[in-house]
Amino acid sequence: MRKMTEILTADNSFSNDSIIHMYDVWTSYDGKGYTLQGINMSVENGKNYIIIGPSGAGKSTLLKLVNGMVIPTKGQIEVFGRRPNIHDNIFKAIMPKIGYIPQNLGLVKNLTVMENVLIGALPRISKVKSFFKIFPDKEVSDAENVLNLVGLEDKVKRKVYMLSGGEKRRVAIARALVQKPELLLADEIVSELDHVSAKEIMDLIIEAKHRINLTAVMIHHDVQLALDYADKIAMIKHGNKIAEFNPNEMRYEEVVGMFNSYES
Amino acid sequence: MNPKDNLVIGIIIAILIFTSFNVGVDPTQFVKGIPNLMVVVEEMSHVDPTLLGTAFWSMIETIQMAFIGTIVGVAISLPLSILAARNLYSKFVYAPVRAFLAMMRTFPSILWAILFVIMVGLGPFAGILAIIMYTIGFMSKLQYEAIEAIDSDPMEAISAIGVSKLQLIRYVVVPESAPHLLSQLLYMFDYNVRQTSILGLVGAGGIGFYIINYIKFFEYGKAAVFMLVVLTTVLIIDWISVKIRDRYIVKAQKGVNIKI
Repeated sequence: MRKMTEILTADNSFSNDSIIHMYDVWTSYDGKGYTLQGINMSVENGKNYIIIGPSGAGKSTLLKLVNGMVIPTKGQIEVFGRRPNIHDNIFKAIMPKIGYIPQNLGLVKNLTVMENVLIGALPRISKVKSFFKIFPDKEVSDAENVLNLVGLEDKVKRKVYMLSGGEKRRVAIARALVQKPELLLADEIVSELDHVSAKEIMDLIIEAKHRINLTAVMIHHDVQLALDYADKIAMIKHGNKIAEFNPNEMRYEEVVGMFNSYES
Repeated sequence: MNPKDNLVIGIIIAILIFTSFNVGVDPTQFVKGIPNLMVVVEEMSHVDPTLLGTAFWSMIETIQMAFIGTIVGVAISLPLSILAARNLYSKFVYAPVRAFLAMMRTFPSILWAILFVIMVGLGPFAGILAIIMYTIGFMSKLQYEAIEAIDSDPMEAISAIGVSKLQLIRYVVVPESAPHLLSQLLYMFDYNVRQTSILGLVGAGGIGFYIINYIKFFEYGKAAVFMLVVLTTVLIIDWISVKIRDRYIVKAQKGVNIKI
């Protein structure tokens, strides 16, 4: 156990502008091994924070801590000044502010593109109206705008299972944007795409980021992509954050060397 | 094949012989009985075509009973199956609902029919109630299993948006389990038509009433008309369900847009 004074000083070191605070966070799925081991992290408002690291390092778990899908075994987290927990009713009010795009996208394959995107607006719609799939005109036109932005305007009525992999990613992004989030969490959103499509998707997110004041935490596999788009990069290995740097501080070769060599 | 397998097979054969002896299985009786069957078949061949009209209308009654029973039963089973799904509700909700559904399935529809004949008297209404009860028990099980088989990814991702449980059910559970529903509905209707055909045996309406009574009075020729009508109807329903399945379910999997 750390001393209270240490926690307090650690808290003071965070910028007031940070919307995610993590202090000495440990997680465990089985109570024995720890997936994440003493993570400290702070993400500033409006920044693009990219997490890189080999598979099985605990990157997805780190992201799920932020929206409360995973609860830390020990340590402290605050997101928008609250402790994230998906089952907590107070945090439920914050959840619509967090757009989350999981690795497998989490789309409803038997619904249309439009219906999937409008799911992002559900927290704002009355329960009765949403039960009958009645959406205010404003929400529908907003959703149409977002679909234009991601280039799916001609596939609005298509069922999701009929789309290609790249199109499904665009639907997931559109759903997250329709939430009007302040924080976007994206787990390997471009990992299976070729370099050109990956850049397209990333440009799209950056464009959306500039339109609305959006903070993003993303997981990437591709080091070059991380260097191109991040404001800050964290490298996770074996559940530890082994480095955190600005992209201009490190060259590609250095990062890749660190990526491959470090053993804890 | 090792000696252990042979031992297991030997034990199964021994049990088979022992139990057959116990319940009086006698293959020679079967062979001796073939001429008796021929007598019945011969009598059945004297079909009485004047009864075709009655048979037709009693079959229509049977189909109507099965239809009402299936639709009402399925409508009741849908909310119950949602409450019984382990991925949606806690143990305190799903465990009692499941126990209740298991109880409904324990009785075959003919026992429910006897119960309802005592309750509401002879006739089709008792039969419909019996079909509803059995459909609830059976459909709910098929449906909660379909719900539990839904991909957990959209459930998790959409829960994380902060939607209500009802919205989650409406936008994830219902659309993702609906394709199974159509197929199960057809199966249930098919099954219920056959079930309803025998409910007349206990006086719960439908075509079975005629069949059992003509057989009781050894009028096999007359019973045969009704049995033929049942056979034809079941075949036709089967054929129609195959057509519907091909048109909607198979196409849906191939990726043709359909409205559910």
